[in-house]
Amino acid sequence: MSLLRRAVDRVRGTDDSVRGAQDHTTDPLLDALIDALDPARVKFDDAQRSLLGKDASVFDGGNAGPICYPTSTSEVVAIMKIATQFDRAVVPRGAGTGLAGGAIPLGAPIVVAVTKMRDVIEIDEANGVAWVEPGVINLDLTRHLAPLGYHFAPDPSSQQVCTIGGNVANNSGGPHCLAYGVTNAHIQAIEVVTPAGDVVMLGGLDAEPDGYDLRGVFVGSEGTLGIATKVAVKLTKNRPAVRTLLLSFSSVRDAANTVSGVIAAGIVPAAMEVMDNAITQAVENYVNAGYPRDAAAVLLAEVDGPNEGIEIDANRIREIGLENNATDVRLAADEAERALLWKGRKTAFGAVAQIAPNYYLHDTVVPRSKLADVLDQIYAIAAKYELLIMNVFHAGDGNLHPLIVFDGRDEGILDRVHAAGAEIIEASLAAGGVLSGEHGIGVEKQAYMHLLFSDADLDHQNRLRRAFDPTCRANPGKVLPAGHSCADIQHLRSVPAGLWG
Amino acid sequence: MDLHLDEDDLNSCVQCGLCLPHCPTFRVTGDEAMSPRGRIHLMREVQDNGAPLTPEVLESFETCVQCRGCEPACPSSVPYGHLMERTRETLADAGAITPLWQRAMFAPLATPVALKAGSAALGVAKRLKLVPKRLGLPDDLPLRQEPLEPTGTDVYFFTGCVMDAWQRDVHRSGMRVLKAAGIGATPTNELAPCCGALHAHAGLADQTRDLAEQMMGNLRDDKPILVDSAGCGAAMKDYGHLLGTTEAEAFSSRVFDIQEFLADHVGALPQVDPLDLRVAVQDPCHLRHVQRVHLATRTVLAPFVRELVEINDDGLCCGAGGAYSVLQPELAGQIRDRKVNSISAVQPDVVASANPGCSLHLAGAGVQTLHPMQIVDEALSQ
Amino acid sequence: MSRLHTADPVLDAFAKEVGTEGAVAISGAQTRWNTGGELAAGTRTITAPSGIVEYIPEEMIVTVRAGTSVAELHAELRVHGQWTALPERGGTVGGAIAVGENDYRRPARGDVRTAVLQVRYVSAEGEIVTGGGPTVKNVSGFDIPRLITGSLGTLGCIAEVLLRTNPMPSGQRWFTSADVNPFALHQMLLAPGPILWDGATTTVMLFGHDVDVEADRGRIDSLGTFTEVDAPTMPSGFRWSLPPADLQDLSALDTGVFVAEVGVGTVHAEKPQPRTPLSPAVQLIHDRMKAEFDPTGRLNPGRIVGGR
Ligand SMILES: Cc1cc2nc3c(=O)[nH]c(=O)nc-3n(C[C@H](O)[C@H](O)[C@H](O)COP(=O)(O)OP(=O)(O)OC[C@H]3O[C@@H](n4cnc5c(N)ncnc54)[C@H](O)[C@@H]3O)c2cc1C
Ligand code: SF4
Ligand code: SF4
Repeated sequence: MSLLRRAVDRVRGTDDSVRGAQDHTTDPLLDALIDALDPARVKFDDAQRSLLGKDASVFDGGNAGPICYPTSTSEVVAIMKIATQFDRAVVPRGAGTGLAGGAIPLGAPIVVAVTKMRDVIEIDEANGVAWVEPGVINLDLTRHLAPLGYHFAPDPSSQQVCTIGGNVANNSGGPHCLAYGVTNAHIQAIEVVTPAGDVVMLGGLDAEPDGYDLRGVFVGSEGTLGIATKVAVKLTKNRPAVRTLLLSFSSVRDAANTVSGVIAAGIVPAAMEVMDNAITQAVENYVNAGYPRDAAAVLLAEVDGPNEGIEIDANRIREIGLENNATDVRLAADEAERALLWKGRKTAFGAVAQIAPNYYLHDTVVPRSKLADVLDQIYAIAAKYELLIMNVFHAGDGNLHPLIVFDGRDEGILDRVHAAGAEIIEASLAAGGVLSGEHGIGVEKQAYMHLLFSDADLDHQNRLRRAFDPTCRANPGKVLPAGHSCADIQHLRSVPAGLWG
Repeated sequence: MDLHLDEDDLNSCVQCGLCLPHCPTFRVTGDEAMSPRGRIHLMREVQDNGAPLTPEVLESFETCVQCRGCEPACPSSVPYGHLMERTRETLADAGAITPLWQRAMFAPLATPVALKAGSAALGVAKRLKLVPKRLGLPDDLPLRQEPLEPTGTDVYFFTGCVMDAWQRDVHRSGMRVLKAAGIGATPTNELAPCCGALHAHAGLADQTRDLAEQMMGNLRDDKPILVDSAGCGAAMKDYGHLLGTTEAEAFSSRVFDIQEFLADHVGALPQVDPLDLRVAVQDPCHLRHVQRVHLATRTVLAPFVRELVEINDDGLCCGAGGAYSVLQPELAGQIRDRKVNSISAVQPDVVASANPGCSLHLAGAGVQTLHPMQIVDEALSQ
Repeated sequence: MSRLHTADPVLDAFAKEVGTEGAVAISGAQTRWNTGGELAAGTRTITAPSGIVEYIPEEMIVTVRAGTSVAELHAELRVHGQWTALPERGGTVGGAIAVGENDYRRPARGDVRTAVLQVRYVSAEGEIVTGGGPTVKNVSGFDIPRLITGSLGTLGCIAEVLLRTNPMPSGQRWFTSADVNPFALHQMLLAPGPILWDGATTTVMLFGHDVDVEADRGRIDSLGTFTEVDAPTMPSGFRWSLPPADLQDLSALDTGVFVAEVGVGTVHAEKPQPRTPLSPAVQLIHDRMKAEFDPTGRLNPGRIVGGR
């Protein structure tokens, strides 16, 4: 090794003589993992453990054990077997953009980051699917498919970074899931490494796969049923024509009524997104997308399809808007204007960050006809707790995303944020809604599960989980509230937290 | 350890992760410690929570290319570049990074004569195959070059250090193109020996400040200063922030990338037959992510070539990053491979790149690039 | 939460009927009675409650008791120009969901599995259990509705479901052709409707706005000669489940006379599909699932899910 190289290595700490070789440690678990993978892809340093102790949610307190970066299904199998042998829990992780804390490791589990498994394995046009590894980024996949005229339909706002594995685990949605359906409607088959280390193919490419719908059950299971190592996603043909309408209103209620009206008229647009005045202003300040700053609410509605019929739908939406007192209806003139409007919508969370350093994004669903009422309550809750709450939401399917904007350094603010959050959830449930539309339960909403489900209901969910994972090895402490076997983390090992916590 | 980072800046990151795919080191490793979000988290741990500077923490900081691809991707406008520069400055001051031998490397940059001698020596050494291949230097480092003569006094033409030594032909082209547009330029030569960008990257901010003061002292009028190296332009546009004075602000506002400046003067250029070339535009990070004027390159090039194509990778860094390719050869190589693949995918005849570092780095992988000015110059002179 | 946790005398009565002991099976219209195998002798047979509980057309949801016939449900929905993905072949809602088979017009009507938003069933222990939720979008907890759909009543006795309804397309017309390649037809259409193929003739449903149907009608003419026909009926017989690509060479398979759903992979055939066992690891999950939900094996004994 050259002197120069050696010097560089010393600084970087990769020189073995300085750092101590990683390929023989004093920890048998680490040794086993290193043997199974490769020293460079098993990490246990404090920096890594601290980094992988978090995801994009507002929750701290994760405690990662060894971190593995497998590159193949067989390595994942090996990790699972070692976890079994050492009686450790395992937490799958994609890009770490989850907002409910699903990827936060509890009790020093082995963290399995699939970010190195990121190949598009095969595009099978004859069967209408693409086989991908779980670490493939959502938007990368869509770009990869573009030359063939297809895309992957679920388009979460995080699509530039979130992984297909994460989408599957969270059953993620996005603006265009109104017409096309959320992730579950786009997954044909999943290769899963079960918590016992078996490789199973759930679902299949055939029309009606045999047996219980384990594929359907796996989607949305938040990493608690095993690790997805290969996914067959459906190819959706790109639409030749799109019409994007921007409707402005002088009240949020009018916008919400328009949304209900459109659905009631038998139109299922590709997307229907609403932003209230506060968020519209923030977006305009941020990207200058051409949204009206003075509107109390704007509705972004999009219809797509073959050329012919979408004019009818677009006109109908315009009429329904006007019947509901729309103050302005604008049709995006070209692709550039359309792209700009969407850019505004999709960077809404970023725009918020310009206002205050922290935000807490909620995610409940209410019946569309209750949207206006629940929003009124949310504004009242904001006033009560003296918080700024902005609303941007997938109106078409009633999926609210109240954003509580705050500065985490203000004394006592977190208590107010959480109290307001709790009231938002209660208001949504009281209106006949559910806890989460797309972010999942994770560690965020476990405590609220009792509000939606009875003990017997939760017990049955727990049974479903146990059928896959009788020893609660996969991502324990998530989804189900305390009192259910896999909620009480059995595979906890206290690893000295040290400085890094 | 106090990294001297501004608390508001540090807190502006909400850990959303949207920057991850735009980071070249994360792209090739998939490792959170090699991502902007990871690096910011570690800065916080070190500054706010007293985490020790372990080898892994230093590695995370030192593997950053400082391409700032994460900045435009960040919805919260986290000033990542400044955070990392500051971190490196603190660590270099503390002796934790940038050891003496590396500092020695940067010293000649400020003294053009030494650099030219060194570079000529390197050119000879390279021809004799004494230089390791992984340094990725081009095969034909110039041995001796004709000096640049002023063509007028409308603008300054920044000649700099590395660029002047290695790519004086680019300067020549740039000045000819300006002249064709009726703009007379004065080369800065020893008035402005070095912008200090590489020093800033290495955490040697004091040296950068000295260089900045020197340049500002020598270029006192209010003429625009044109720069044909994206990295230098970015550094000079940042003097306002670096020195924090109104003079420096005013100076920075006079700095333009040459394409940026010419984009407003394309009409003044003669109309000629376009070159029969399919040209891929490789945006240097400091043009695209830092100066954010990369679209100007297209405006300027478009009339002079048959076809412009975009490389389909969101402007991901090529891995050159100042001295990065020398200090982190392995990662730089992986990042470059990715870029080379993206370039091959669009099958260009020529790749246009407006930064010497990128050109040298890509040349190391056999991808020859031309500066946009060389292409326009060629079209004008055919 | 409102209605979920309040007592519902009809469901309570049904739960009582299911009871906590002894083998029990729910009988719908018995149109698919022997799917999964014959019912074990001596099993008590009961029927699920019936009737539409609540239909909210503007929300596109309907709550219906499992014993309601699909025909009755769809008659009600049609008044508002809606339908569901459930197949119309004489059975009950609960039966259709327990069997989980799709309508032959699936591309135009959706998938039964995505239609069930919420399910209420009586467990082997005689308790009323609710899974899923009343909204079109929901990721609150594990997906019990998916598990129950297609479970042949082996995990719980379906009492009531909340279904997603869809607007019926304003135009639906069927065309048939003897000289068209059905796979090329499938490739050409942007959102292909049902395409049925018996090895010689191809029958396609064009749907959407009338103008879209007209435009598609023009497009498909470039592939062959089509004439308009009435909606076809599916032959009774056996059902095959294949990957869509496999339909291109059905001669290799022993189907007998067939009608294939191009682009979907379902084949309605004269002869049965050979049985393939589940892989051991998948079988293990099935066994554990059954043991978890029905430890004593009293629900629908004799019916086996998987390994057809
Ligand atoms: C700015 C922003 C915007 C967002 N917008 C949306 C939105 O519009 N819609 C939406 O639905 N979500 C949204 N999200 C949430 C998040 O991006 C999605 O939930 C995403 O699918 C998570 O993917 P990931 O790769 O980051 O997964 P992670 O966060 O890494 O993991 C999420 C869960 O999946 C599990 N998991 C990951 N990989 C696997 C695997 N291979 N096998 C099994 N389990 C696995 C983890 O254990 C964890 O429980 C947003 C997040 C951010 C930060
Ligand atoms: S500057 Fe470049 S290498 Fe550094 S974190 Fe940002 S994107 Fe990554
Ligand atoms: S995009 Fe910005 S806010 Fe988000 S993780 Fe990266 S640096 Fe932080």
